[in-house]
Amino acid sequence: MSALDPVPLLLNINGATRRLFAEPRRLLSDVLREDCGLTGLHVGCEHGVCGACTILLDGAPARACLMYAVQAQGHEITTIEAFDAGGELSVVQQALHEEHGLQCGFCTPGIVVTMEAWLAEHPDPTETEIRDALSGNLCRCTGYHNIVAAIVKAAARRREGRAT
Amino acid sequence: MTDRRTIGAPRLRREDYRLVTGQGRYLDDISIAGCLHAHFVRSPHAHARIRSIDIAAAQQAEGVAAIVGGRELAEWTTPLRMAPLIEGLRPVGFDTLPIDKVRFVGDPVLCIVATDRYLAEDAADLVAIDYEVLAAVADLDQAFAPGAALVDDELPDNLISQQSATVGDPGRYFAEGAMIVEASFRQQRQTHAPIETRGCCAIWDQGRRHLTMHIGNQVPHPYRTQLARRLKLSESQVTVISPDIGGGFGQKIALYREELTVAALARELKRPVRWREDRAENLIAASHAREDVVRTRVSVDGEGRILALELDIREDFGAYCFYPANYLARVVAMILSGPYRLSNYAYDIKVVLTNKCGNGPMRAPMAITSWVMDGTIEAIARKLSLDPIAVRRTNMLRATDLPYQMPTGLTLEDVTPSETLDRALEAFGIAEFRARQQADRARGIFRGVGLCCVVESTTYGSAFYKAAGIPGSGHESGWVKIEPSGAVNASVGLMASGQGYETTFAQVVADPLGVDPDDVQIHIGNTDTAPYGMGSRGARGGTAGGSVLLIASEALRDKVLTIATTLLGLNTSGELRLNNRRIERRLAGAWTDAGLSLADIAHVAYLDPLRLPVGMEPGLEAHRAYDPPPMTFSNATHICEVVVDVATGKVNLERYIVVEDCGTVLNPLIVRGQQQGAIAMGISGALLEEVVYDEHAQNRSGSFADYLLATAVEIPPIEVISQHTPNQKTPTGSKGMSEGGVMGATGALPSAVNDALAPFGVVAEAQPLSPMYIRSLLRSV
Amino acid sequence: MKPARFAYDAPATLEGVLRSLAAAGDGAKVIAGGQSLAPMLNMRLARPDRLIDINAVGELGEIALDGNWLSIGALVRHDALARTALVQQHCPLLAHAAATIGHYAIRKRGTIGGSLAHADPAAQLPLVALALDAEMDLRSTRGSRIVAARDFFLSVFSTVLDSDELLVRVRIPRSSAGEGFGFRLFNQRAGDFALVAVAATLARGPDNRVARLRLAIGGIGPVPARVEHLAASETGEPFSEQWSARVAAAIADAVKIEENERAPVAFRKELVVALMREALDEALDRAGRGS
Repeated sequence: MSALDPVPLLLNINGATRRLFAEPRRLLSDVLREDCGLTGLHVGCEHGVCGACTILLDGAPARACLMYAVQAQGHEITTIEAFDAGGELSVVQQALHEEHGLQCGFCTPGIVVTMEAWLAEHPDPTETEIRDALSGNLCRCTGYHNIVAAIVKAAARRREGRAT
Repeated sequence: MTDRRTIGAPRLRREDYRLVTGQGRYLDDISIAGCLHAHFVRSPHAHARIRSIDIAAAQQAEGVAAIVGGRELAEWTTPLRMAPLIEGLRPVGFDTLPIDKVRFVGDPVLCIVATDRYLAEDAADLVAIDYEVLAAVADLDQAFAPGAALVDDELPDNLISQQSATVGDPGRYFAEGAMIVEASFRQQRQTHAPIETRGCCAIWDQGRRHLTMHIGNQVPHPYRTQLARRLKLSESQVTVISPDIGGGFGQKIALYREELTVAALARELKRPVRWREDRAENLIAASHAREDVVRTRVSVDGEGRILALELDIREDFGAYCFYPANYLARVVAMILSGPYRLSNYAYDIKVVLTNKCGNGPMRAPMAITSWVMDGTIEAIARKLSLDPIAVRRTNMLRATDLPYQMPTGLTLEDVTPSETLDRALEAFGIAEFRARQQADRARGIFRGVGLCCVVESTTYGSAFYKAAGIPGSGHESGWVKIEPSGAVNASVGLMASGQGYETTFAQVVADPLGVDPDDVQIHIGNTDTAPYGMGSRGARGGTAGGSVLLIASEALRDKVLTIATTLLGLNTSGELRLNNRRIERRLAGAWTDAGLSLADIAHVAYLDPLRLPVGMEPGLEAHRAYDPPPMTFSNATHICEVVVDVATGKVNLERYIVVEDCGTVLNPLIVRGQQQGAIAMGISGALLEEVVYDEHAQNRSGSFADYLLATAVEIPPIEVISQHTPNQKTPTGSKGMSEGGVMGATGALPSAVNDALAPFGVVAEAQPLSPMYIRSLLRSV
Repeated sequence: MKPARFAYDAPATLEGVLRSLAAAGDGAKVIAGGQSLAPMLNMRLARPDRLIDINAVGELGEIALDGNWLSIGALVRHDALARTALVQQHCPLLAHAAATIGHYAIRKRGTIGGSLAHADPAAQLPLVALALDAEMDLRSTRGSRIVAARDFFLSVFSTVLDSDELLVRVRIPRSSAGEGFGFRLFNQRAGDFALVAVAATLARGPDNRVARLRLAIGGIGPVPARVEHLAASETGEPFSEQWSARVAAAIADAVKIEENERAPVAFRKELVVALMREALDEALDRAGRGS
């Protein structure tokens, strides 16, 4: 057995435990997508710039392409799949839909995950603050206008305790 | 007469549910058992002969199934021949993978197939390729220089295309004593950078001798035709299936060498093989775009009226031609005059090869057009000390000028440039702006307004290609089927990469049939089920696809009403209509339910055909094709406000408004989104993006830290004001749109910067309008 | 782009980390937030034999007052630096600069230790550490040493850290009463590394001149530079409306700016003038307000 060989991992993902084997070098993004079938996060760059692979690590947004699956043991991983639990879209998801805040959809899960976490910490943001928070997620389709409108709407609904 | 109920409605998208919850199915989300992974070893040199390749150690590496190069691919595939009979275009061809020499940094040389990508990259580390480095052609000037190295050894020099034309008598107006103004424009090299890179998965069924190619591609049928031909297969042996696509923008059209290699390997190995391009490969080796040096020369009268215009374009096309090298620049020359009157016109276009990644169409291949035309008008205004808005108006077409034949023969009709200009200036508040600008200048704040008047060519019917000498068709095909239960399925030969076809086309199909768009399922992307169409490019989807589906749906409606007529024992269908999934009859001026549902009709058509009208075929299917007019044109006026920080050169874009007229709109939400996205891409290109090659033709823009895409901070809110003058010649009245936004932003940003910097007397003639470039202009004052 | 193979270790104690580092020789790299290291690993620009993950070492994540110093563990995340009251109060320049790093997700993971050890010439934290006369606590199985920020950064991506040493803590002198700070960075796009960045702290002296001036510039060379000495006569002038501009111009003239691919020297010099002037004005304003 070499220290480079696959190691057993116990990962806590969306509240459930997954057991798998992975080499230390395997990216968390690859393990989640390929070994766990959680293909909602997308790989856009593998160097941490585009944000399409964003997940939550212990509730805080993290780029899954900048972590190795071995590093995720002992932490809570939340992926996009957790957000429409019970068949209802989350506040941000619903707002993006209503505001036409997505086109090809490839960057969208990363935006949902990032902004759900960010809004929890910034419940009453200005548009400038929203744009700044969004700047870590690249979108090539929408020009961001409708995404910003969606986040404004989502923030208001969260403050009012509403989903729609 | 179509009673438009669902066409034109701002319906929310069907696609959203799966995309917003992460349940979209993009290529890499599709799991294929036993699939091998391909990885390409690429040239580190811009130009080099391949002397020898040593793969002995790599072949022994863990998980490696095969390593192949140009020689193997030459046995399994045919080379690409890019040789349409177009005047001034030199025929070229190249192998599937290079055998003799590499022509740009990133040129794929070997393909390693292994059990996963990690192991394939490990094996790549063990490959040793001996190159003889050759002098590289690193830019336009070097390409033109006498004695330059040859990018393509079969050509006598690097000039791949030259085209010129003269209309009217421009020479007469450039004679002695004429008032002549010159302007120049440099647009940088860009790349599409969709957030999803290229990739594919090829599955060869040895038993059926059939290839299934899973690939996110904008033109599945033409792609299938190419793929079959290159693999020496019959077209009926190939199926192309496009899953959800994470952005295309023109980069996902051509059959790339990597994809062909993967397909050939799947057949050879009798194992499925997949490939995912990483971001560095996508930026360096997928497809590049733009990079033009343009000069104009105009002869004008004292009021700035253009008497004659000469256009000179030189374009850097890169090393390989996946497209005819003439055609991207040619569109610029064809539509340059845009919203302005022009009778005496000459153009000369030269396109060269260089040791860079080959070019292809990127959303608005003609992006530079409106910048050049409006920039020329602004140069006239500066020279004659006239208001640039006034000079625009002096030259601009009015409603009474339409239809207008452009000097290049294309006909402009149903366009509203003057009207959108007026509305844009009003929405912007130009007078109030000038007051603010003046006040701010006194405080050392340099504010500018940018204007760009766009006429966007879209759709491209077959007659356009014919006239241009470009082989190929502009038609589109579609079918609509009403199933025995009354459910509706429809398909068209396009493929979506974010345009919302599943929603928009459901609206189109639903309209004549009197059903809800939710009753209609749109099927696209599978060449076995979708009809042969020309795919999604050139802003043709809405007009070509929407029109053919409307035609097919109306044909079905007519058949349904004819059946209803028979079932109801009537003489004619004239007093019948479909509404709310039922047949209605007009009695005494009011529409009333006729006692039949669409499902009832469908049941008869499929399962009780003896009750059909005599001679009518059973079933409810309509398959149609539609060839649009040679060209449809949309128009828009773009206006924006910037503040230039003269100390640092940074351009801050504060406001952006577009007044756009793209004819009848199938879904205004989606159209607005397309406008905003196109404008954002244009802003990003104008301010930030640049593929940089150094003097050795080494690509310095291989990551998202180097190739800068605009974020939500750099793009301001984009206000879209719409007016819709229907095109009289298309079934839906739509004209096509989605690229004009890039054209408008490409012109509006430099216009704004020049207006802001007018007190300094500098003119920005190049993009990107980077802080470094702006400071270099100001430093020289 | 997938990394080359590496072995992996995640010791739960500092001793465990140091032992692993000692055993690994030159072949190991420490991973903290991974925001700078992972891209290099993924692109195979770095190929360590072993990755030593320090994220489990709880004691490295503490922030505490230590006499006149603020002590910050290497694992403290940028987001915590920006939002923790102790940092905002006692090292406001650090809190302010940390809030400008990258993007939200990057700030949630990236660490001060990682940023300092990575030593990107354009990064905020090396610049601020230098401006604030920080001291780095280095430990190995051989012992410990303290290195001043001035001596810590050697060149691009290069520090004095030996291959078996870990940066465990940064200590920064608490800001003094009446001191104001200024911070400016210039980038083309939100969240990018700066082309040039400037950090300043100063207090207003009783004679209407500056007291305790500290000025640092990043992005003009392989390491950030302290520069207040380059304009001693201008900085010694009494305050006036032109003071900041004069100091900025003098420093821009005197400072050595190295060629780099991203932006020409002439341009970066102009950035120094513009950013330095604004940073000084901001510092004066804060010092004047007694904040």
